[in-house]
Amino acid sequence: MPDPRIQNLANILVNYSSRVKPGDWVSIWADLGALPLVKEVLAQVLKAGGNPTYNWHSNELDEIFYSQASKQQLEWISPLEEIRSHKVDVGIYIYAEDNTRTLTNTPSENMALKSASRRELFETEFKRAADGDFRWVVTQFPTQAYAQDADMSLADYEDFVYKACFADQDDPVGAWQKVHDEQEKLVRWMKGKKNIRMKSPNVDLTLSIEGRPFENADGKSNMPSGEIFTSPVENSINGWVEFSYPAIHHGREVDGVRFEFKDGKVVHASAKKNEEFLLSQLDLDEGARYIGEWAIGTNYGIQQFTRSILYDEKIGGTFHMAVGAGYPETGSQNKSAIHWDFICDIRKDSEVHVDGELFYKDGQFQV
Amino acid sequence: MTDPRLKKLAEILVHYSCTIKKGDKVVIASDLVGEPLVQEVFAETIRAGGNPIVSYSTGAMMETFYKEASQEQLEWISPTTLYMFEDADAFFSLRASDNSRVLSNVDPEKQALAAKARTDIRKIYKERSASGALRWVIAQFPCQAHAQDADMSLTDYEDFVYSACFAGHDDPVGEWNKLHAMQETLINWLKGKKEITLKSSNADLRLSIDGRSFINSAGKNNMPSGEIFTSPVEDSINGWVNFSYPAVRVGREVNGIRLEIKDGKVQKASATKNEEYLLSQLAVDEGASYFGEWAIGTNYGIKQFTKNILFDEKIGGSFHMAVGSGFSEAGGKNDSAIHWDMICDIQKDSEIRVDGDLFYKDGQFQI
Repeated sequence: MPDPRIQNLANILVNYSSRVKPGDWVSIWADLGALPLVKEVLAQVLKAGGNPTYNWHSNELDEIFYSQASKQQLEWISPLEEIRSHKVDVGIYIYAEDNTRTLTNTPSENMALKSASRRELFETEFKRAADGDFRWVVTQFPTQAYAQDADMSLADYEDFVYKACFADQDDPVGAWQKVHDEQEKLVRWMKGKKNIRMKSPNVDLTLSIEGRPFENADGKSNMPSGEIFTSPVENSINGWVEFSYPAIHHGREVDGVRFEFKDGKVVHASAKKNEEFLLSQLDLDEGARYIGEWAIGTNYGIQQFTRSILYDEKIGGTFHMAVGAGYPETGSQNKSAIHWDFICDIRKDSEVHVDGELFYKDGQFQV
Repeated sequence: MTDPRLKKLAEILVHYSCTIKKGDKVVIASDLVGEPLVQEVFAETIRAGGNPIVSYSTGAMMETFYKEASQEQLEWISPTTLYMFEDADAFFSLRASDNSRVLSNVDPEKQALAAKARTDIRKIYKERSASGALRWVIAQFPCQAHAQDADMSLTDYEDFVYSACFAGHDDPVGEWNKLHAMQETLINWLKGKKEITLKSSNADLRLSIDGRSFINSAGKNNMPSGEIFTSPVEDSINGWVNFSYPAVRVGREVNGIRLEIKDGKVQKASATKNEEYLLSQLAVDEGASYFGEWAIGTNYGIKQFTKNILFDEKIGGSFHMAVGSGFSEAGGKNDSAIHWDMICDIQKDSEIRVDGDLFYKDGQFQI
């Protein structure tokens, strides 16, 4: 019998996160190492009456593709991808890497080229999601590679993961519902507000959220979740941030990132490690130097940085921002082929004021 | 068909490093992940007329042992382990892992307890090694976990490992002999010398090598190799070092180590990450705060830091020191349950003088 928490997680993904209904086309995208979880997800999808298809993925194949494909091959879009983007009802994405650094040395311009050529597909999916025609959820199956990145054994890491997803509880769906309710209060309070001002030893930022609603990330699209986010007014951001945590993208770890903003644009970017890669990504397209997301992590069950964005951006006591594409459901106008999150600790000497009112202080909400 | 370089690596280990002869009792110790290399070393040992004894372990079992064993169990030594150390003619330690951080969260005191209980075994190992009764070599099987630590894909990491071992050459043994000859020139020059001074932006050290000999490490005990090392006079070391590379030991990474040394003893130790662990290891026993090794890396084929001591300490343009037990074959007298190498870059603004003569400058030998 497999770990009962795997079954629990599959149940959460299918019946809470993506709410699979009879007749839904459910596309399961998964790394080869995710098989134990995919088996349980499949069983749950069948039980719910959905029609599953699989899309197996391997970083090692990506490595060959990105290093050997020509420009034409990088830009070619499979008709299957196209149909999927336009038609699929539910996408369940399960990462399970066996080496998180497999793509560290592949040419980043080739990755950028592939991303750029798929911009229309991303936009289609974003729009269909905003319209409620496409439900998607991203999760990670615990592997040795992720455990190693987290400085943990696999056994300890499994405990960490299943706990963060509430998969170790008797009523995980009820627990997620509670998260939803608490965050809903914050999102409501934010309604109609205009200006955010952040100050901490790492940050000095002002931004406008006028006309931009906050979203309640309650485990529907990310498992685990726990954040409230919006897309700030694109040209309103001014100031600077020094992100306290490393940012990882395409298997590359960029440390000590500092951004300076002027009227919404990153006018100066630097990093202590892999600065060149950071800059190459920011220069991908016009939208890559503008912000698509501003968010506060609310999952106080996640306290450790584990070098995985899915968990790290949810850490209670942090905020994050993403350069690149924003979410139409939060009013974003920014378009880009990338969406890259950067996380910053605000547990100490930190304040967030909203229209002059103290909203958040030293890692805790004040409203 | 297996990677031909894997077969070549096994040939180097069996015929060059340990020179297996008919009737030799040969221990092959490895994590299960190293099975492909174990298979090749086993086959080559059989062909050479040796009697292989295979000893497998796994990271998860080590984790269970350190987490759940009582003091009695930690201190218990298996009769078969004892036999392997007392009677084996050759010992292959093959490094491989499915998660290099599997022991990150076990109690260091328990590890220290188990290490202490094995002091006698290590003594036997060292004495039999010094007398020539035991030939041993440590080698690396390229696997995903170590590739990830090196920020590489497995394919790139395989290239790195095999090239550092000369396993891609038609005549790897000839290459190792060449390296041996180059190092022999250095060692002959150092014979009879007394005092070393090292000055760089990372270090300011003075130590005596009076009566101590340098050892030519050219692939017999470490594969790959490329270093000359000695055990300096124990109470002669004075000064300080800021080790530029992280020091990794049994699954823990310690960053930004600074040691201040007076009359051979570490007076003050600090680290920017995992300082507590560093201090606990230096306090394991009296010898753990004295030095057992001082060495210069000579393998200019290894340029990258890969978070793996077997490769890192050989980087051409670096020096390293180990706290803990010394080498009797070099005249070392320090005794300890640990031997922990720490590495420092000296490619820039660095000078090593021996009895006043310029011996080494900015990563290059000057004699």
